[in-house]
Amino acid sequence: MHSSLQSASKRRQVSNAALFMGPAILLLLLFFIAPIILNIFVAFSDMHQTIEFREFTTKQFGKLFKADDDALLGFSLRYAFNKALVLSAIYVFFTLLFFNVGFGLILAITTTSIPERLGTFYRAVWLLPRMSPSVVYALLWHWTITPTEAGLFNQILIYAGLEPINLKLNHPMLLIILANGFIGASMGMIIFTSAIRSIPKHLFYAANVDGAGPLSIIRFVILPALRWPLSYITVYQTLALLVSFEYIWLLMGPSRSTMTLAMLAFTKSLAPDIGGGQYAYGAAISLILIIIGIIAALGLWRLTNMKKLLQAPKIEVQ
Amino acid sequence: MSMKAIIGSALVAATALTAAPAAIAEEVTVKLWSRADRAGPLRAGNIVAAADTLNEMLKAAGYDKTVKVELIETNAKGFDADALDLLKAHSVGQGPDIAVAAHEWIGSFVEAGFAANLEGHIASVSDMYADIIPSLWTSVSYKGERYGVPQDSEIRMFFYNNDKLRELGKSEEFIAGLPAAVNSGEFTLYDVCDLAGEAVEKGVAEQGLLHRPNVGPDFQMLMASFGIEMYNQDEAKLQVSASKLEEYFGWLNYCVGKKAIPADMTSWDWSSVHNAFRGDKTALIKFHGIWHGNNQLKAWGLELSDKEGYFDKITWTNAPSASKGGEPSNMSHPIVYVVNEQSEVKDVAAMLVALASQHVPNTRHAVTTNHTPIAYGQTAMPEFVEKGWLQIAGTPLLQYAQFMPNHSKIGQYNAITFQGVQAVETGEMGPEEAAEFVLDELQAELGDDVIILD
Repeated sequence: MHSSLQSASKRRQVSNAALFMGPAILLLLLFFIAPIILNIFVAFSDMHQTIEFREFTTKQFGKLFKADDDALLGFSLRYAFNKALVLSAIYVFFTLLFFNVGFGLILAITTTSIPERLGTFYRAVWLLPRMSPSVVYALLWHWTITPTEAGLFNQILIYAGLEPINLKLNHPMLLIILANGFIGASMGMIIFTSAIRSIPKHLFYAANVDGAGPLSIIRFVILPALRWPLSYITVYQTLALLVSFEYIWLLMGPSRSTMTLAMLAFTKSLAPDIGGGQYAYGAAISLILIIIGIIAALGLWRLTNMKKLLQAPKIEVQ
Repeated sequence: MSMKAIIGSALVAATALTAAPAAIAEEVTVKLWSRADRAGPLRAGNIVAAADTLNEMLKAAGYDKTVKVELIETNAKGFDADALDLLKAHSVGQGPDIAVAAHEWIGSFVEAGFAANLEGHIASVSDMYADIIPSLWTSVSYKGERYGVPQDSEIRMFFYNNDKLRELGKSEEFIAGLPAAVNSGEFTLYDVCDLAGEAVEKGVAEQGLLHRPNVGPDFQMLMASFGIEMYNQDEAKLQVSASKLEEYFGWLNYCVGKKAIPADMTSWDWSSVHNAFRGDKTALIKFHGIWHGNNQLKAWGLELSDKEGYFDKITWTNAPSASKGGEPSNMSHPIVYVVNEQSEVKDVAAMLVALASQHVPNTRHAVTTNHTPIAYGQTAMPEFVEKGWLQIAGTPLLQYAQFMPNHSKIGQYNAITFQGVQAVETGEMGPEEAAEFVLDELQAELGDDVIILD
């Protein structure tokens, strides 16, 4: 009797687990795990033009690396791949530092320290780029940076007595960092704002009574409470930026000057009119992106001591 | 819903289902794949019209079968993207019976088992194809056999804005003599950039020479001017000459240095290119194709029949040679009909292609879209003489025309060489470095499919 009750309860547990977790697990398998497995298969094939799996081969990786006796590991990176790696690093690092984390933090701190209505208004303004359709957003950028005197940006420069500039030609990386950054900053801003809001008010009062100035309050009250959201945003946005190419494509097309790894994978496999159709080659680049993503996530996890930060916040006991 | 109504609708459905097989047996459906393209709506339209003709023939012969064309109109951005979509559809068994495609994809279509060998069909109705301009068959041949039927052809050229040349102080003799000077090799590609650079320097034009902003066939013309032969017929492989490639990149570098070609040319969009030449008229020379004729006439405020007015405003030349005394180059890029090897209605599909390729329907396409004819006889048709003067005027340029190689990796080849063009023009690399980079990429990506000469 007892054992049958036990087994019934176990069954219920299993069926409950299947009922509640099932859909999530299925989605995870279908949309996260299956594409990675599929990607690995395609990366080690010769799939191009038609979507037929013809043979198992590692030749796609030969398009990225070449044997080099002088190199430390016996191989060196091919030019296009090497350049894509460098551009990806520049793009991710600077967008993250100056916008997704840096500017997001500044926005959160400033908009929470001014009257609430005004703060909400400014935050809403900074959400606009994220809310507008990407094509419209890219179009506005195109009009702004048109290299002729008709471009809005150049009109301002000319008004200020400066020479007009051609951002797309002379500072392409700056352009894609700015365009992505203005969108990316809002995510950090929201997370940081909610974290600042959750700091007990009495800590600010106490700090004020102790004679702390605004900078000291940021340094000793706000930033310690933001360590966990900062780590989270850094890891999350690093991964998001590594694989993002939508705005790069819309603004620059298949330009060499902004050919990051994600763009390279896209142009070699799916992009129209620029030698696409090399599905296996694109998958091989994507596989490397996946590996870089995993390493970056684990490295940042360790670096920011996320495990420790995931424990109960210490702010209450300090 | 009442019981009566339910029984009633069930009966109707059952009758429809039993009647359906009989209806299907009488109607043969031919699926036609064509990209929605304003530059040639009749490419598909002529096949649809051919079905009407064929149906009348069947009716006259007493057959109760009819042929229906089901149009699959795709929205791919260009012919390359469309061909890739077509190959994907084919590899999952969803290929159409007839496809409209750019000729250089024939190699890929044959390799993928899509394109049917049409030698038998062409021989069976040889009279229907007898007048086709023989050189056009080259564009549909793969390893010596024909796998498609040319649908149209075209000519590419350098367009010169005559008013700007006059403003620059060039005499009428100079302007009128340009085409001949190019053909004799007296006026070279370097002279083009000197002229274009001079126009920019003197403020006559904002841009000297505009080329296409993206990957495409035009660059093959320029490479041919440097003596680069992209295809090795004997080995059926792509090829490139290292020294000539460097020379070609050196010329691009020279032109950007002279401010003849804008350094950011490869990040322009098409509408800006067209606008610069015919809209705002800020450019001296544009390098593209004959199908812009009608729009140019409109942009200069001329009647569509005003041949004299047109050539007063615009001069055409072939792509000049790179060296004094050398031969100029041109290129034709035919669009073709391909029949699916695995189609159940292959023979009907081929017949529709044959009917659509006759003089009258093809002329209707050619004169409305500024394309050159596929058959000799078309040029004598009153409609062509009256509305097709642009094409007739351009026909002499075909003397120097070549086609893109029908090789399955030509798209990759073009994309990689274009990378070199972009690297040189934007100043990222010098000519030598760019050539080295392009050769390395060609070898890495194309492997045995490309031969590197000296």
